Amino acid sequence: MPRALGLETVLVVGGFLCWASPAFAQSTVATKTLPVTGNAPPVCAVGSPRLEAGSQINFRGLSGNTLQIDQMVDPTTLAVAAASVDIKFDAVCNYPHRLRLESQNNGLFPTLQRTQPAAPGFGSAVPYRATVNWGVVNGVLNADAQARRINEQRFNVDLPTAGEIDLKLTIAPGSSNTRDNAPLLAGDYADTMRIFVEPR
Amino acid sequence: MSRNLKRLAGLSAAAIAIAWSGTAAAQEGGGGSDTDTKNFAVVGNVPAMCVGGTLAGTGATFDMGVLIDVNTGLLRNDLAAPPKILSGSFCSARSTITVAATPMAAQTFTATPPAGFSRTVNYTATAAGWTETPASYVTGAGSNPAAVQTRGTAFSGDITVSVGSFSTGGGATQRLVADTNYQGNVTVTLAVAS
Repeated sequence: MPRALGLETVLVVGGFLCWASPAFAQSTVATKTLPVTGNAPPVCAVGSPRLEAGSQINFRGLSGNTLQIDQMVDPTTLAVAAASVDIKFDAVCNYPHRLRLESQNNGLFPTLQRTQPAAPGFGSAVPYRATVNWGVVNGVLNADAQARRINEQRFNVDLPTAGEIDLKLTIAPGSSNTRDNAPLLAGDYADTMRIFVEPR
Repeated sequence: MSRNLKRLAGLSAAAIAIAWSGTAAAQEGGGGSDTDTKNFAVVGNVPAMCVGGTLAGTGATFDMGVLIDVNTGLLRNDLAAPPKILSGSFCSARSTITVAATPMAAQTFTATPPAGFSRTVNYTATAAGWTETPASYVTGAGSNPAAVQTRGTAFSGDITVSVGSFSTGGGATQRLVADTNYQGNVTVTLAVAS
């Protein structure tokens, strides 16, 4: 009888261990992992321009995408009058990119092409200077009006950048494509400036 | 009626007697003459255990696709994905369900992002169906008291895992850096409660 009792005890303990191992080591905790994924494609975007309040000198303002100079020349000397304006664009580029500033005419040129050569002593185009700030970029484009052509500057930006593109346009008093303070021929003058944020 | 019962009892007793006598005869044929009896206890237990279920339908991944509004670079405000169903989960005892999650993070762009940008997306992961109050975890939160929920009884059933309430790490004005792979993980754990 004591022998039978001993066998019984061994069986019970053995059975308990047999269950204990898988039950407590493997199955008291169950875990599932589910990944959550997505992507952010490379994006550059530029918003509409707006005038920096109080920044304009001798500009009527911004109408759509057009900046209108108020008084282009000094009425007594006919030399170009000083003018400046500060325009901002909300912009974002979420990857390394390039900022490109382009003047279509390389200065303010008559909107109507002249068939006659410019009169001696008069200016026939107006140079200006554009400065741009965008992230780490502080760039300048000098539209010197010496020739009617596309003039552009490119700036590589190594970092994703978000914020404002700050563009300042400045016409110096008396500036001319011929000589300082030359009187300007009558006419309408214009240029188109383009700003690109684009892949490099 | 009473006589029939007696007869049944008599037949039953006779049957037992025949069985034992057959055993005795066999032992005699093998040379032994004693009878012996041993008692073996047949015991068992049902261990407390939990088993996670299997996923029905599509795979285990919550694929959120394009995370940003391509016109602004900001996080989309309409991000959504169908929930995942863990079918056939069970715990044979009192249990806890725990949800943990890691933010979706850019896997290629691992440097500190420049000003105005973020490389993480936070979200809320929820596991419902197991407890009255779903277990939920908000990535990026300082604490997540609702992440662990306890059920007092054994249970078998489906667990619905969902993700939602996405937000950009660092604030809603931050843009996400471009990256082809943002990834985080939701982990659901069933455990026997002590």
